[in-house]
Amino acid sequence: MPSDEHAGAKPLGRKGLLIAAALGSAFPIAAGYAAYSAYQTSQTQAAQPQSLTGATANFAPNDPPGEWRSQARDYANTRYSPLNQVNRANVARLKVAWTFSDGTTYGHEGAPLVIGDTMYVVSPYPNVAYALDLTKPGAPIKWSYDPKTSPTAIGKACCDAVLRGWAYANGKLIYNTLDAHTVAVDAQTGKEAWRTKMANVENGITMTMAAFAVGDKVFVGNSGGEMGVSGWLAALDTNTGKELWRAYGIGPDNMTKIGSDFAPFYPWMRGRDMGVATWPAGMWKTGAAAAWGFVSYDPATNLVYYGTSNPGPRVPAQRPGDNLFTSSVFARDANTGMAKWAYQYTPHDQWDYDGVNEHMLLNIPWQGQRRDVLVHLDRNGFAYTIDRHTGQVLVAGQYGYQNWSSGIDLRTGRPVVKPEMQPKIGQKLERVCPPDIGTKDWQPPAFSPRTGLVYAAIFNICMDLTDHAVSYIPGTPYDGMEMKRYPASGGNWGAFIAWDPVHGRKLWEIPEKFMAMSGVVTTAGDLVFYGTVDGWFRAVDAWSGKVLWSQKLSSGVIGQPMTYTGPDGRQYVAVFAGVGGAAMVSKDEPGFPPRGGTLYVFSIDGQSPSSGGGMLVTSPGGAASLSDETQQGRH
Amino acid sequence: MDGIARTAVVAVVAAVIAAGGTAWVMGTSHQDHAASATGRGLPEEGAPARVPVGELAGAAEATLPDNVPNPFEGDAGAAEEGHRLYDRMNCAGCHGYKAKGGMGPDLTDNHWRYGGTPVQIYKSIYEGRPKGMPAWGRALPSDSIWQLTSYIESLGGSFPAGSYHAGMQGDLGDQKGGAQGAGKGKTSK
Repeated sequence: MPSDEHAGAKPLGRKGLLIAAALGSAFPIAAGYAAYSAYQTSQTQAAQPQSLTGATANFAPNDPPGEWRSQARDYANTRYSPLNQVNRANVARLKVAWTFSDGTTYGHEGAPLVIGDTMYVVSPYPNVAYALDLTKPGAPIKWSYDPKTSPTAIGKACCDAVLRGWAYANGKLIYNTLDAHTVAVDAQTGKEAWRTKMANVENGITMTMAAFAVGDKVFVGNSGGEMGVSGWLAALDTNTGKELWRAYGIGPDNMTKIGSDFAPFYPWMRGRDMGVATWPAGMWKTGAAAAWGFVSYDPATNLVYYGTSNPGPRVPAQRPGDNLFTSSVFARDANTGMAKWAYQYTPHDQWDYDGVNEHMLLNIPWQGQRRDVLVHLDRNGFAYTIDRHTGQVLVAGQYGYQNWSSGIDLRTGRPVVKPEMQPKIGQKLERVCPPDIGTKDWQPPAFSPRTGLVYAAIFNICMDLTDHAVSYIPGTPYDGMEMKRYPASGGNWGAFIAWDPVHGRKLWEIPEKFMAMSGVVTTAGDLVFYGTVDGWFRAVDAWSGKVLWSQKLSSGVIGQPMTYTGPDGRQYVAVFAGVGGAAMVSKDEPGFPPRGGTLYVFSIDGQSPSSGGGMLVTSPGGAASLSDETQQGRH
Repeated sequence: MDGIARTAVVAVVAAVIAAGGTAWVMGTSHQDHAASATGRGLPEEGAPARVPVGELAGAAEATLPDNVPNPFEGDAGAAEEGHRLYDRMNCAGCHGYKAKGGMGPDLTDNHWRYGGTPVQIYKSIYEGRPKGMPAWGRALPSDSIWQLTSYIESLGGSFPAGSYHAGMQGDLGDQKGGAQGAGKGKTSK
């Protein structure tokens, strides 16, 4: 049932254009808007409108259309499904087909995988995995696997005992446990294939990111940006769990795996041991740069891309310098881990903006040529379009409200920081926007090659910030930020937006009363799905931003929606409801939902092998067919 | 805090910092707080740990009475010193600078998984707890842990020393706490 207050999105008017122009962008903004206007006027025509941006993507590894084998569905992290059985014409008929509760109530940030006729789900702590048989009514459990994750990990995870998903490779499901192990489970039997200890959880190192597999390698990274950890990304052999390489985000070049062919585009990131030289003596050792976001991969160059966390401690006064390579993106050779280039989004990060958000690999038309880029909506409020071969920033546009910077200088690649927005120890700094968790946190956007747009669930929040001096004590927070978060102007905590990554502008925006902290999925049915922290799950017209369908779920939605084709040939859409994670910063807002942990699976009219008459499987003369007699009145 | 105890805290903290390999050593501001816990009949080091977390089986007696009061009871300076320790030992990082919870539970309300009387709070700090609470018994002297307990008591959610069993039996849920009741989404203590 569509909700009244969400009848449609607001196209941005001239004001949005002026803001974008004020940021000093050197590209033809007007062209993008003209394309959008042209679309608006051509909407009534029967012909399929052209992509608004010309952006495309490589959908390798080109998994079967009805399956969902990795968190982002493809190496490029588009989260685009070629399915169109559910589309703008019939989406209003979506109803719940079946549900599954995993019995846990920490934040549910992952997405199920569908491989063949089986759905696989993994819970947040204690990280129990389930295989569900989609061929049978009710999708019964085929097997479950419990890694017996240590409860110590719960109190070492900064932002709830979450898990953002997992990987499938060579017949195994591979994932990280909160207590810093990576495990592989046989997809057929549910038996543990291998288990690799990656770090000591007692020192505050947890793992919450979605393992990412390419061929025989699986890439995993750590969490703990608030715990003074050393951040790393590691590659493991999917067959044995053996560690092939580990690259740190801080430290000397042998730790950061920086060699002679490391070529950042901007000179201020070049030099020897920059992961040491940009810190006060010794401070790099507890400088974080954890890798807890999504990883993407370009098969053409064999490079993996991922972001690094905030520096430790979060209090900037204790760590003068750029603090490389925190709040940055790395491009690394998948075979060796050697860094090809890096780019630091927020040098000397003073607000905990991190750089961990996803890097979506797109190809865009750019000044008459095709450019291979990565698109990254940073927590700092800017959306970057960066040449993924060189690290050159082509576009840096503001996608939500921020007040810490007057823009990104495209000549130097550095943000222009407003001096008055820099915190000082012991002094309360009011209304810093965005706050620590950003304009958008880890929750991944999606891309549609049909519209050429990127869709993201975002925040509209600010903070009052007081920094406190901290000392490093292993296993305790190395943090020091005291914060109060609240909505920015408008009073809405969240929004859902369509972003043009070529021209760096927002085309429309749906305000949400609560934070929008879910993943997004786009489909060939020209639908975009997202959820809200107060528990609405919505389908939006990818072209217009009109909300076509909304369903209230049992808890807030911070999971990643996905879609698949069942063995019965029907298209399903699935998402977890289970609020938690960073969304808890708004838990005192009236109407904030209780926690939960239920997977909802939708289909047209709610039909599935588990629904409707005649689905009760009984044997002739069996108990279920003779309920009145055999139950003897017990109901 | 007397000179020896203070030195011990600083030395422990310095050792911890050295072990962590960071060069930044926190500045120490000394408040004149002359009261010595020893002079107040401080329980023998480690004795509070023998007060059980769970209910007693059979008719056994704990080796320390479960109604043992905080030796710093009524000493506002102890709570102040406890507050300083709370910030400096990174308690605030998990429980929040206002102690309203975060990674760790809210310490201002009256929900106490491991008990809310002074000796039970002492025990939780001394021994640590399974979901990530470090055991501070080896890093901090007894005085400091009682001072931390004093600070937590000053937040208003704790239970009086004599109410060990009332707390265990759930009779104190309606007691006026420092917070507005047990909120949603908090980690359990």
